[in-house]
Amino acid sequence: MILIAIIVGCIVGALIGLFAPMVSYTYSGYLAIAIIAALDSVFGGILATLKKNFNLTIFITGFFGNAILAILLTLLGQKLNVDIYLAAIVVFVGRIFTNLAIIRRYYVDMVMKKIEDRKEKKETNNK
Amino acid sequence: MKLNFNKANITMSISILFVSMVLVAVLFIQYKTVEQVNETDIENLRDSELSELISTWKSKYEEVNDQLQETISKIYEYKEKIAANEEASELLDEELKKSNLLLGTTEVTGEGVVITLEDNKETHITASNLIELVNELWSAGAEAISINGVRVINTTEIVDVAGYILIKPKQRITSPYEVKAIGDQTYLTSTLCLKNSGFIDRYQNIGKTVSIEQQRNIKIPAYTDSIEIKYMQEVEEE
Repeated sequence: MILIAIIVGCIVGALIGLFAPMVSYTYSGYLAIAIIAALDSVFGGILATLKKNFNLTIFITGFFGNAILAILLTLLGQKLNVDIYLAAIVVFVGRIFTNLAIIRRYYVDMVMKKIEDRKEKKETNNK
Repeated sequence: MKLNFNKANITMSISILFVSMVLVAVLFIQYKTVEQVNETDIENLRDSELSELISTWKSKYEEVNDQLQETISKIYEYKEKIAANEEASELLDEELKKSNLLLGTTEVTGEGVVITLEDNKETHITASNLIELVNELWSAGAEAISINGVRVINTTEIVDVAGYILIKPKQRITSPYEVKAIGDQTYLTSTLCLKNSGFIDRYQNIGKTVSIEQQRNIKIPAYTDSIEIKYMQEVEEE
């Protein structure tokens, strides 16, 4: 059910995105930061799901909160002539990578366990 | 996959649908924006860089424009000066020279005649005789006249004062009176020497000593006094 929700959401979102009006180039920088923040939240959510401690409220607030905070920080940086968005990108992308690494390790471990289980089963059967 | 329709599951599904929808929509919008910007080939510069470039070029343009304006105005100035120097000034110079020549403030030289009048035992030369002579000379086309080295100009008066002849200002002259006139030699001579009605003939008939002589290089001095204008003014034309 959640999988269906994700797929439907992606399709509808793509349609909306395709027919939505263009954003002016000035604001596309903020949008990009917001996207990175959102992606970070998504990967965090996936990791939480795998660890079985996924909390919807935390996910939703993180998703929008991070995005808005990133935009605001970028805006502030622009006003103060500091490239704060660089810091935001470093933090978010770094976290995405660590999350991805954890997720990967989780699946690799799972697959390895299965293979070992089969081997053990075969050995026990052979005996 | 099992579909269990409890409340928490539905909320979670709807929330995640919404979230993924928003994420993908924004992603697509961003992608489209970047694509479009690449298509229209506005360079991949950030706004700040672009505005910096614009301001740099703007200031450069203004600088160059200022210089151009300055140079143009200078050229204009020089042109005006040249024009003034070459045309107006030349014309003015010429005019001034001409005026000075006519006015008598410069020493002049040229061909002309010299008439000498002398007192003799029977008759004296009077101021009116000289006035008449000067008049005749002017009418004969004389351009400059002097009597005994005194320049005659348009305001010159010649009067008898106590047996002397006085030429304004303060010049007392005595016989022989040498009247020099610059002009067409033949015309002057022929006018003065007309039979019976000419000046020379008439005066010689009366018994006065008058002689005329043609000269190639007559020198007539400048009017020495200052010419002052107090009352008259030029009428300005509208």
